[in-house]
Amino acid sequence: MKTQMLFENGSHAWIMFGRDDEKTEKIIDTNQYMVVTSKNALLMDPGGIELFSAMLSAVIKQVPADKITHLFASHQDPDIISSLGLWDQALPNATLHSPWIWEGFIRHFGMENITYAPIPDEGRLLKIDNVNLEFIPAHYLHSSGNFNVYDGEAKILMSGDIGAALEAVDAPIYVEDFDEHIDKMKMFHQRWMPSNRAKNDWVKRVRKLDIDMMCPQHGRIFKGDNVKRFLDWFEALDVGVATNSG
Amino acid sequence: MTDPNNNYFVSVAEIAAKLDQTTLISQQLSLTASNARAVALRAGEKAAGIRPLTDFIDRLAEITILSSKKINALAVILSKTSVKKMRADNAIERFNAVYKSGKEAKYIDSIDKQHQSCKLEQEQLEATYRRQINQLSIELKVLSSELRNAIILATLSRVEASQSGAQYQDALINVADNVEGAAAKIKEHIKYSQHKVSILEECVTLE
Ligand SMILES: [Fe+2]
Ligand SMILES: [Fe+2]
Repeated sequence: MKTQMLFENGSHAWIMFGRDDEKTEKIIDTNQYMVVTSKNALLMDPGGIELFSAMLSAVIKQVPADKITHLFASHQDPDIISSLGLWDQALPNATLHSPWIWEGFIRHFGMENITYAPIPDEGRLLKIDNVNLEFIPAHYLHSSGNFNVYDGEAKILMSGDIGAALEAVDAPIYVEDFDEHIDKMKMFHQRWMPSNRAKNDWVKRVRKLDIDMMCPQHGRIFKGDNVKRFLDWFEALDVGVATNSG
Repeated sequence: MTDPNNNYFVSVAEIAAKLDQTTLISQQLSLTASNARAVALRAGEKAAGIRPLTDFIDRLAEITILSSKKINALAVILSKTSVKKMRADNAIERFNAVYKSGKEAKYIDSIDKQHQSCKLEQEQLEATYRRQINQLSIELKVLSSELRNAIILATLSRVEASQSGAQYQDALINVADNVEGAAAKIKEHIKYSQHKVSILEECVTLE
């Protein structure tokens, strides 16, 4: 499991974990992100059961375990949060922020100690120490209850499955050539995302945000102009294509 | 050979399912008792020995139903404990992997407390698990010894049958057959469960 510092200033840091070369081939590669503030840490989309040991090992190289007081699951998928039952044993005092519609489902992963803090459909703010984070609605992209995390100070948008690409475990962290990258993203967005309406609404809202880095849960990070390139490409893309009539 | 440790919670669930069937069969014993009572009523003076016999069958049915329900409930509780134990075992296993791979991690000590409390929980679950297996084993023995009475009751029914005259003979032989049949089936379930329990007990002592 590789660790990459994405952003650091006096108040907080963004760290990415991913490119786990020990995982078995058939498991989709995932990126996990952590925001570290003065006294706490938020772990975002902590990943599947299979990843847990590698993740915990990587995380405690950065912060002590009891500092991880917040977890975030953008939606209910196994690659996002099936490790919950194990984190529940490791972090008994943490709070999990996740879409309200998934509470009854996500609890099936096993949650006896961690507290569930439901996020309403319209999103909400999360202040950790002096850092302000925002849960931005991204419903139907792809999950019907789904959020991104925006940090206005770091200008980072953690976009979950939006911007995801399927690629090799040794792929670079950042998108280098956007046009070349399209091939790795196209099928994922067309097949997993169900709604053009939801997609266009999200693009419209996200265009108004000041973003330096867009960080998806699979694949590579979009930096600088590549963020706008992605928004333009995504807006023009026809999604929800797997209807039977073709 | 498959490692029985890997699927102990499956074994426990199987025991619970088996004992659920036992409860159903015990309920059939109850039915046999009321059939016998009907025969006794019709036979009147001719079969004076049947009435106390029906009371015994009734009591046997009652005891078997209660006992198999109790054992079933125990197996369900044990099943929950074993799944919890499996989750705790699983978490400990992952912690151990972290200790191995994260040796040089700056904050490796920060998981000690949770590791300890997880281990403590695992030990408690282990103790609960042993206690519950033991209880299950005892209750199975109790039910098994109660069933010995079934043989006596069946024999008595046959004796009554031979004395009650042709009119009631068939009905009483039928009662005897039913009691014997139910007892044999329940015994089979007990044997199956005891076998599974003994494997679980072996695994626990091996650990
Ligand atoms: Fe997903
Ligand atoms: Fe995903």
